[in-house]
Amino acid sequence: MSEKIFPEKNLVTRHNATELIEHWAIAISGLLLLITGIFELPVAKRYYIITVPGLGWSADFITSLYIHYAAALVFTAAGIFHLIYHGLQSEKGLLPQKGDMKASVTVIKSLFGFGQEPPMHKYLPEQRWAYVGMALIIAMLIVSGLIKTYKNIYAPDMSLAVVLTATWIHNICFVLFFLAFLAHMAAILLRPNWPMVRGIFTGKVRLNYARHRHALWITDLEKNEQSVDP
Amino acid sequence: MDAKNMSEITRRSFLRISAGAAALTGVHLPKTARAEAAGSLSTLIDLSLCDGCANRKIPACIQACRSINRNKIPPVVDNIPEPWPRKTIEDWSKKQDVTNRLTPYNYLYVHRAEVTVDGKRQTLFVPRRCMHCDNPACATICPFSANHKNQNGAVVINPNQCFGGAKCRDVCPWEIPQRQSGVGIYLHVLPDFMGNGVMFKCDLCNDRLKEGKKPGCVEACPRKAMLIGPRKDIEAEAEERARRMKGYIYGQKENGGTATLYVSPVSFELLNQTMTRKPGQPDMKPNVERRMVGTDPLGKAVLAAPVLGLAAGLLGWFSRRKTKIKAEEQGHV
Repeated sequence: MSEKIFPEKNLVTRHNATELIEHWAIAISGLLLLITGIFELPVAKRYYIITVPGLGWSADFITSLYIHYAAALVFTAAGIFHLIYHGLQSEKGLLPQKGDMKASVTVIKSLFGFGQEPPMHKYLPEQRWAYVGMALIIAMLIVSGLIKTYKNIYAPDMSLAVVLTATWIHNICFVLFFLAFLAHMAAILLRPNWPMVRGIFTGKVRLNYARHRHALWITDLEKNEQSVDP
Repeated sequence: MDAKNMSEITRRSFLRISAGAAALTGVHLPKTARAEAAGSLSTLIDLSLCDGCANRKIPACIQACRSINRNKIPPVVDNIPEPWPRKTIEDWSKKQDVTNRLTPYNYLYVHRAEVTVDGKRQTLFVPRRCMHCDNPACATICPFSANHKNQNGAVVINPNQCFGGAKCRDVCPWEIPQRQSGVGIYLHVLPDFMGNGVMFKCDLCNDRLKEGKKPGCVEACPRKAMLIGPRKDIEAEAEERARRMKGYIYGQKENGGTATLYVSPVSFELLNQTMTRKPGQPDMKPNVERRMVGTDPLGKAVLAAPVLGLAAGLLGWFSRRKTKIKAEEQGHV
């Protein structure tokens, strides 16, 4: 069982090692893909980015492509792993549930001091919507990126309609991914979410925080632990 | 269902899915870029025949090319927006008559090469234009796919989609595409911050090819120094001519192979020495490398990444199931 309560340490396991590796593999490779994706546009010379110490390579599109491919390898493999590994285990905690839309509005309002948060599960309702949005953007980026990679290596004369579709899906999803990344960072800046930050680094969050904010999750966990105990 | 049966079914289904994954990894990808496949065209430029049209003011190939493409560039705006922060503007609209280099208004020029072979002085004329590479980086990594390799071999820039960022010129080993600022779609988006015109170059007279006609330069050459035909035929013809004249071929290996083959009685090392690389005047370095070839192995690994993720996901899931079943069995005992 990866989720465990440690009452003596006032901690509860929120993410296991596999989930932490998945998150950081996608986060770091995604960030590299964003940066090298920007450098695949002719901006480094025009905006003098090449004059920034350490970024002299930024105007070399082939060097950026090496890094983009290396990051795409990790990003794609981690994305597919996530889908298969959690899909086969029927883990649905991050998928939107009935009533999530209404609950999301309540939670977001409460983040700005209007009203009370409802009792929540391990993941917040708006977190589940954000997950689906991010997953769709990532899936589109991966599929269009694979088409573009295949074209680069094997089929430069691929149907122009396919190339244009893949290119524009990739470009639009690149912008959406960047916006989603900014929204993800903005969510961290909100004070009520701070206790969750340690969870994505260490895998554990404070138990008293979880009891207060994720009451439904802790109740379920405690029930499960009681049924396992002899 | 008891734990033993569940474990067996799990193993069976795991093997079935693993077999599927293995089959996926066994999918054969083509060994070469499709641009080299049958149906594509090539051109041949025989330097033993080209005399640079010494009796004309402008060589016939250039004249024909300019005549066909004379209306390609729309009128340039009066006040070309000044790009920010680097204020580079490339405006050839007032120098449209230039024919001794590549410009947005001139897609072909003829280089005059004075060489000495075995103590004998010779003059050769080398028509220069886009080589229409087999796997052109200019097209494959255009961020808007405004530049595309067609199945007939022509590499064509769509002036309505190009933002004039000149990435294609940066990655071309001969820096062939040329920019005209003050025209194109960028004027309607964010002209001060994004884009800087449209890139122009030879498109092998793609519209004429579609009508079953030859490119203007090939048709106009009075000495039949240029040919166009099916790739295999042109390759065979180039080999045969090179063998007969004990000469050399350029374009077979350069930049990973091109759809333009030069045949010359003089080596290209020697010809290249007569060329000083300048903007719009490419050199002719033999065996120039296709830089993207180095990225291909990593790209192939990216194409295999879904299989890697699938296999790792299945293994992870299987191992977790096994642990769970073991724990359940221990619980029953």
